[in-house]
Amino acid sequence: MRRQPNPNRADLYVTTDTTESDKTRGSDPAPEVTNVSDRIVEQFESIKRTRRRRALGWTGLLGFIIFVTIQAFAATELLDPDARIGTLLASLNEFFPITYYFDVIPFLDFGRYISFIRDANLLYDPEIGRLLFQLPPSATDVYAFFFTEFGIFQIFGEAGITLAMGFVGTVVGFPFALVFGTLGSGRVTPFPFNFIFRGTMSFIRAVPAIVWTLIFIPFLGLGPASAALAIAFDTIGNLGRLFVDELEEIEEGPVEAIRTTGANKPQIVFFGMLSQVRTAFIGWTLYVLEINVRIAVTVGVIGAGGLGFVVTAQQNLLQFTNMMATLISIFLLIISVELFSQRLRSRLRSDDVKMGLWELITGFPRRMATSALK
Amino acid sequence: MSYLKVDGITKRFGDVVALNDVSFEVPAGEFVIVLGVSGSGKSTLLRTMSGLLSPTEGEIQIDGQPMITPRPEVAMIFQQHNIIDDMSAYSNALSGGINEFGFLSSVLQLQDESEKHRALDALDTVGLLSEAEQKARRMSGGQQQRVGIARALVQRPNVLLADEPVASLDPGSAQDVMGYLRSASKERDLTTFCSLHQVNIARKFGHRFIGLRNGKKVFDGYRDELTIDVIDDLYGDIDTEGMFVSGSGDTRGTVDDAPTTQPEQS
Repeated sequence: MRRQPNPNRADLYVTTDTTESDKTRGSDPAPEVTNVSDRIVEQFESIKRTRRRRALGWTGLLGFIIFVTIQAFAATELLDPDARIGTLLASLNEFFPITYYFDVIPFLDFGRYISFIRDANLLYDPEIGRLLFQLPPSATDVYAFFFTEFGIFQIFGEAGITLAMGFVGTVVGFPFALVFGTLGSGRVTPFPFNFIFRGTMSFIRAVPAIVWTLIFIPFLGLGPASAALAIAFDTIGNLGRLFVDELEEIEEGPVEAIRTTGANKPQIVFFGMLSQVRTAFIGWTLYVLEINVRIAVTVGVIGAGGLGFVVTAQQNLLQFTNMMATLISIFLLIISVELFSQRLRSRLRSDDVKMGLWELITGFPRRMATSALK
Repeated sequence: MSYLKVDGITKRFGDVVALNDVSFEVPAGEFVIVLGVSGSGKSTLLRTMSGLLSPTEGEIQIDGQPMITPRPEVAMIFQQHNIIDDMSAYSNALSGGINEFGFLSSVLQLQDESEKHRALDALDTVGLLSEAEQKARRMSGGQQQRVGIARALVQRPNVLLADEPVASLDPGSAQDVMGYLRSASKERDLTTFCSLHQVNIARKFGHRFIGLRNGKKVFDGYRDELTIDVIDDLYGDIDTEGMFVSGSGDTRGTVDDAPTTQPEQS
């Protein structure tokens, strides 16, 4: 029924305006083009104007950013740097020592890295490890490893100390972060009072972990203990803030549902609110653990121990090869912690059936192959 | 035995009048269905009755006591079920009765054995005993709503309020959930309020009907009084013919209502 008048109109059109219909033959809306062309042109002009204005605005913004950046370069002395290419090249040779494999092929001398990593116990402490790995195994030594030497972290040498600082900081900081984060949420504590907790967290965040370490030196001395405490403090500020933000996102429904059961206030907070964010909280905590291990490297640099301290010590001795070996150890440590934490987080968040640990290890080559072929 | 009295309640949100001088009285044990289009005030009425909202004017008395804040003896079921996704059906059911326990014992599930048996009994009432250990997140919409009913039952209520409990369910699950709601209410002798907008389901399950339009009560009567004219009055000029084809057969309790919404040929 609707099809019928169309050919007629097109016919009519062909007779009145041949050139137009030639161009648009076969397309249905041809008759309307001439009717509304003025309006279309007008709209198009308006779009062009808007785009031109926007382009002008962007150009102005870009110019402004360039201008400000030059000022910042001047302030950081990058405009007139005291650059010494010669010393850089000389030190590069120390950072990346070259050896001749089979007396002909020049390549990076990994042997020197590995020998320092072994000599300085960067990744493995044989003193502690001997208790666990010996033939034949000795029950008293295994007992000593776990319960008198507390070897689980120390077996990893300097890396173990760095890892332990990050771990202790996260574990000690977590309960405080939970309390501060929950009480800092406007849904739990009414408006002006929640700022007591938010303000405390802001203050803790304003001071970096490295400075907190300096503050704790009079209390615990310069060492891993004050570093771990400083990281714990830092965790309260950062993790607590993530908890507050997460709690802003919860749905009102379950909270109301728990209210109608006649529950008391702490029960409403726990069942109605915290139960909604449990997985998210665990995920954020693992993320902060990653960050804390990195912070443990930084506070090590000012002398708190672990891999960070080895870096400064070797730098002061101008042993750049050893320093690079330490950086490689740091890289290995951070990558392992991140891999572990990310696998755990994705397992927590996914709704799939969980893989067992054994399948996780044995199925690894096959999964690797399938994802490589994708 | 609860006796429920709504006395001239008005609820305003700014300039919007959501409820306008609504009054009624309900004797204990009735199954009341609240009808009306979206925005007619059904949810506001039920939420005010549960104590989640306080009325601008008027008073609600349940069992002789005014309803000011939520009380354990008035349980509520929600359209979006609002159960805790991360917990098992059993833990969800158990969370209905936490008002009788302290914070630590409810968090660590240290309730006494009889309470835990009651939670399982409530799950049995809604036909989910064997699924008790399943995570709520992995259940279907209908099952989740039934967990919501179980939680409300563990609360040991005298009054059960259900705010569009089947609005987001498919017709089959909707019938199931309404059936469980009805039998639970009968078994435990609960005064039940349920808002609905499926007229056929309403006629099948309700004793008494309260109709709202623009926040005003326009109908209050029992099943025989709920005629096509009343429905027309409530829902305006929609095609109600289909709704009554099987609705007139009412109490048989079959699930063959599907053809009532078949589009007419032209």
